[in-house]
Amino acid sequence: MVSRNIKSVLGTPLARAIKMMRLTILLLLVIAPPAPGAGASQDRPISVLYAGSLATVMEKGVGPAFAKTGYTYQGEAQGSLGAAQLIRGHLRTPDVFISADPLVNTNLLMGPQNGNAVKWFAVVASSQLVIAYNPHSKFAKKFEEAAANKVPWYEVLATPGLRFGRGDPTIDPKGYRTLFMFNLAGRYYHRDDIPKLLGPPLNPDQVFPEVVLLARVESGQFDAGIFYKHEIIARQLPYISLPSEINLSDPRFSSLYAQETYTTSSGPQVSGAPILFTVTIPESAPHREAALAFVQFLLKSGELLRKFGLEEVEHRVGGDAAQIPPGLRGLTSGVFKP
Amino acid sequence: MSRSLKPTFLVFGLLGSFLLIDLVLPIASLFLDANWGGWLEALKQVEAQQALVISLEASAISVMIMLLLGVPLGYLLARADLPLKRLWISLVFLPMVVPDLAAGILLLKTFGPYGIIGQPLDARNIALTNNLAGIVLAQLFVAAPFVVVSSLAGFAAVDPKLEMAAATLGDSRWHIFRRIALPLAWPGIAAGLTLAWIRAMGEFGSTLIVAYNPHSLPVYMWVKFEAEGLSGALPAAFCLVALATCAVVASMLFSRLTGFADVVTPFGKAATVEN
Repeated sequence: MVSRNIKSVLGTPLARAIKMMRLTILLLLVIAPPAPGAGASQDRPISVLYAGSLATVMEKGVGPAFAKTGYTYQGEAQGSLGAAQLIRGHLRTPDVFISADPLVNTNLLMGPQNGNAVKWFAVVASSQLVIAYNPHSKFAKKFEEAAANKVPWYEVLATPGLRFGRGDPTIDPKGYRTLFMFNLAGRYYHRDDIPKLLGPPLNPDQVFPEVVLLARVESGQFDAGIFYKHEIIARQLPYISLPSEINLSDPRFSSLYAQETYTTSSGPQVSGAPILFTVTIPESAPHREAALAFVQFLLKSGELLRKFGLEEVEHRVGGDAAQIPPGLRGLTSGVFKP
Repeated sequence: MSRSLKPTFLVFGLLGSFLLIDLVLPIASLFLDANWGGWLEALKQVEAQQALVISLEASAISVMIMLLLGVPLGYLLARADLPLKRLWISLVFLPMVVPDLAAGILLLKTFGPYGIIGQPLDARNIALTNNLAGIVLAQLFVAAPFVVVSSLAGFAAVDPKLEMAAATLGDSRWHIFRRIALPLAWPGIAAGLTLAWIRAMGEFGSTLIVAYNPHSLPVYMWVKFEAEGLSGALPAAFCLVALATCAVVASMLFSRLTGFADVVTPFGKAATVEN
């Protein structure tokens, strides 16, 4: 009885499909590459956890270029603060961590209060704040005029009905940097009404997570947003550049920027400072040799980073300079002072 | 039926227990290193309370809408002689399997201030994103299919002979629905509504995009996670898991009332399982 059932089933399409699947699995087993760690020379994994705004720079630029040197690159984008919390909470053990703010290292990862998760960091590059807009926005003409310096950008942003967004200061350094920028602009242009364009720091009509805001501006649901220049170069959106005195790009204006402060909900007060990206190898990194090779590669990638809208700066070292791997000493110079 | 373990069941049990490592252990871990006092204290914070209230309000509105619009749709799909019936059922199923993030982007494109539906409303100063309405829209997208599908299953399980008998006695369709179909299918629908409610409460991915503000409880949990790490997020996680546990228990009680569970797929009724 049972055997007859099987026989009657054998001719059906289902049985044929099962046969095909078995064959496929057999084939896959034969041609499958050896398991990871089986000793192939190009199979050297490296995981990099980086500030979300760097996604395009890392996944289209640095990552693939580094992979060509014989490593298996794996990147992960997270908000800087969130990424630091992941490392601190032992929820991620990346080989390399790239932050969008030196303070993220000093406040959340360094020192005994943070379990000494990180002991040093090196400055990689700088960026600046710009106002990006959707080219199909009904205010696009006005934005174009502002980009050509024909009308002041803050007057365009004040247009009734115009929607612009910014980062959330609670979870994103860009959020409080935008607050700094508007305050600096108020003083630079002698206009008290510029900071008022933002409303309260956490204004629910303007504040969004990084990716959500980008999606809103790209999809045309928002007219404009405050972003890092390199994010906007990656998305190919038009943008308005701002003077160095207010765009937080230039270390020469550090003391001017530092006049602005903001207290995050999670505690520490932050001061205005140039937008600097830093790199470090956390103490928990599983592949230290690969991590070192990656950091060396990154610090020599000035040309590549410039193509993606970042500016090269001196690779100053923060934290305990004695802890920095000897292989990096030749690529760094000077001490980073917040 | 004898309760002796057959070899087949032993093997299946062994296989299933591997899956349970993934399903049960993570939730159990929440209670293993629980910090009850600290969590309750954290949930007393104003922002946490606000987020909880927002989530409860939005999900209550969602459940009402699902009840008023989803249950009739379930009956229609179960009983009406619709052309392309399987297509309609599949379309209702689809949102259940669309990734949250994609759902959020698509909802934003539709209901955002410059969206197909959002724009004409925006001209009249009605906003559908970044407010309670946005949260409800996101919740409906992911949770309403539960209600439609459970209603469909519930109504389909009602013996058609009962409805036919009532029809021959001259009862109108509305009367048949109201007096026979709805009371008999109700436990299954209630179970579906309960699951839909908790799915709505927990909706995160598309809500983040459609309505970051005001923070609902899952968005608040994420913000705390980003800003303060694990310790910041766990109180809200605990709250949501506790509510989910209640919802699952309630849903189980409702389905017990029916005495059987139906499995209906877009490809037809797959099985009726005696309880």
